[in-house]
Amino acid sequence: MLGKIAWRNVWRRRGRSIVIICSVAIGLWAGLFVTSFYFGFAEERIRSAIEMEISHVQLHHPEFKKERDVRFTIPRTGELLKWLSTNPYVQHVSGRLTGRGMIASASGNSGIQINGVTPRDEDTLTKLASKLVEGKYFPGTRNNEILIGKKLSQKLKVKVGSKLVLTMQDKAGSIASGAFKVVGVFATKNTPYDEMNVFAARNDLAIMLGDSLAITEIALLLNSQDSVDAFVRIAKARYPALLVEGWRTVAPEMDLVISVIDQMMYIFMGIVLLAMAFGIVNTMLMAVLERTREIGMLIALGMRRSRVFAMIVLETFFLMLAGTPIGMVLAWATILYFGNHGIDISAFQETLRSFGYSDVIYPKLGLYQYGQVLILVALTAFISALLPARKALKLEPAEAIRK
Amino acid sequence: METVIDSHNISKVYEETAIPVHAVSEIHLHLERGEFTALVGPSGSGKTTLLNLIGGLDRPTTGYVEIGGVNITKLKDNQLIDFRLNNIGFIFQSYNLIPVLTASENIEFIMLLQGRSKSERETRVHELLRQVGIEDKHDVRPAQLSGGQQQRVAVARALASKPRFMLADEPTANLDSVAAGNLLDIMAKLNREENMTFIFSTHDARVIDRARRVITLQDGRVISDERYAQK
Repeated sequence: MLGKIAWRNVWRRRGRSIVIICSVAIGLWAGLFVTSFYFGFAEERIRSAIEMEISHVQLHHPEFKKERDVRFTIPRTGELLKWLSTNPYVQHVSGRLTGRGMIASASGNSGIQINGVTPRDEDTLTKLASKLVEGKYFPGTRNNEILIGKKLSQKLKVKVGSKLVLTMQDKAGSIASGAFKVVGVFATKNTPYDEMNVFAARNDLAIMLGDSLAITEIALLLNSQDSVDAFVRIAKARYPALLVEGWRTVAPEMDLVISVIDQMMYIFMGIVLLAMAFGIVNTMLMAVLERTREIGMLIALGMRRSRVFAMIVLETFFLMLAGTPIGMVLAWATILYFGNHGIDISAFQETLRSFGYSDVIYPKLGLYQYGQVLILVALTAFISALLPARKALKLEPAEAIRK
Repeated sequence: METVIDSHNISKVYEETAIPVHAVSEIHLHLERGEFTALVGPSGSGKTTLLNLIGGLDRPTTGYVEIGGVNITKLKDNQLIDFRLNNIGFIFQSYNLIPVLTASENIEFIMLLQGRSKSERETRVHELLRQVGIEDKHDVRPAQLSGGQQQRVAVARALASKPRFMLADEPTANLDSVAAGNLLDIMAKLNREENMTFIFSTHDARVIDRARRVITLQDGRVISDERYAQK
């Protein structure tokens, strides 16, 4: 009966309640959509980083990452690559000979990351060929072919067919260099990456460095992102001498992006709900003041104050929860639509790409986040109810009935 | 005779302003089961305050009130609320029904607070609606009822808890003469047939005329207490 009275009380001032319900619905819709936008934003960055830059899992010699020195190669790569390529968790594998070096053209030079790759494996892993904007993907017509990023090509003022000199330290610590011909220019969604990376055939690089079997990095894409931790555990147990890292360890800043977005959701929804709470407190205070005599009468007839408190809290809950499903369904539909079609923000392409972000965002929100918002809404309703309910509790029946 | 209400030297002083207001002063009142009593007096004489003190809606500044041998002045807030629920039926001048509930839900509500079973509630609601003569209005909300009908629902609601006695504050003040007459008939019948104790505050001559005991107040004091033969 208490629930019935509370629900019917919500509709006593239909217009006023509808305004509050609409504001709850619109506030939730806006809050959820903006949150999903940021989650999509972060997810797109992580997806592109995994695809192009860090993969799901990387394997190195334990000392390699300190200075990215080519002396620290992965031992017995033949057996390791065989195990990886037949592992049920693993989708694609690429063994690389990577290191820091210099690239020089007639117009200038730059410090870069040199990636010696097996062209077919690398394309399978990173879809590098699809990112070419000029030239061809390792046509194999000659030795020492190189792919460079668009930003780097602009910096060094080179194009397809130009010659470049790569210089890096070999295993003995001596300077090794070689002339390479640009066969393709790639452009990813991450301009700094394009400026800092070049790709050459691993065999060519190995010859330059005098170690034809050298591999310093093995990058893996797994069948599922969810199995990263499980796979890392298995690989570590099998190869304890190697450094096996999941993408969160390889690029902790990506993990930071997720936790920042998560915290942003709480802050943003907190602001939205706080604004709603003020509206609801005001409405419920009005309701209590308007019904002073009625509440006094209920206490006079024998309704305990705890029940009066419960009635006001229930009323506030109903008022808020009536708008919640509307807001959530609206948000879900909007997120679903834009999650499939994307939101084109290419007007900010230059800025976005300089931070490695995509210019098409696919908003996304998990069930977990909807659940979190629902809990926040319930909490807000309860907190909003406290002041009006306290007001009702303080009523003295004899005094209230006279009003 | 069974004593229902016993007030011992009760006074109520309001001190909301710099000058204390003595709403009720040193009143001794003794009511027995089956009495049909009217509290009369001019506005400001202390009728409503006395009813509030007897009904446990307010606490006396001095003195105490016993109902059925229980000193209600000493009860804690929740105990007093429960005591009112189970012992006192209230009828207000402005009916004070819950506007969002139907007539039968208004009556049932009190029994729900008492924790009565569904079947008991349903039977009693039906019986009470018949008793006050508005069975056909059971599913109607107060706004769709006339003043007289609303007051009948209020009487049925007050009876629902099976109280020891009924307190009525100006019950006929907002009713036309026909409705007031009908209401008084119902209350007189309850008094006669069920020996229900009634105590009214009133200005209404029709009520005073039906009372078998008339207590007159002036400036918060009892100035006369007269009993009449069965009317």
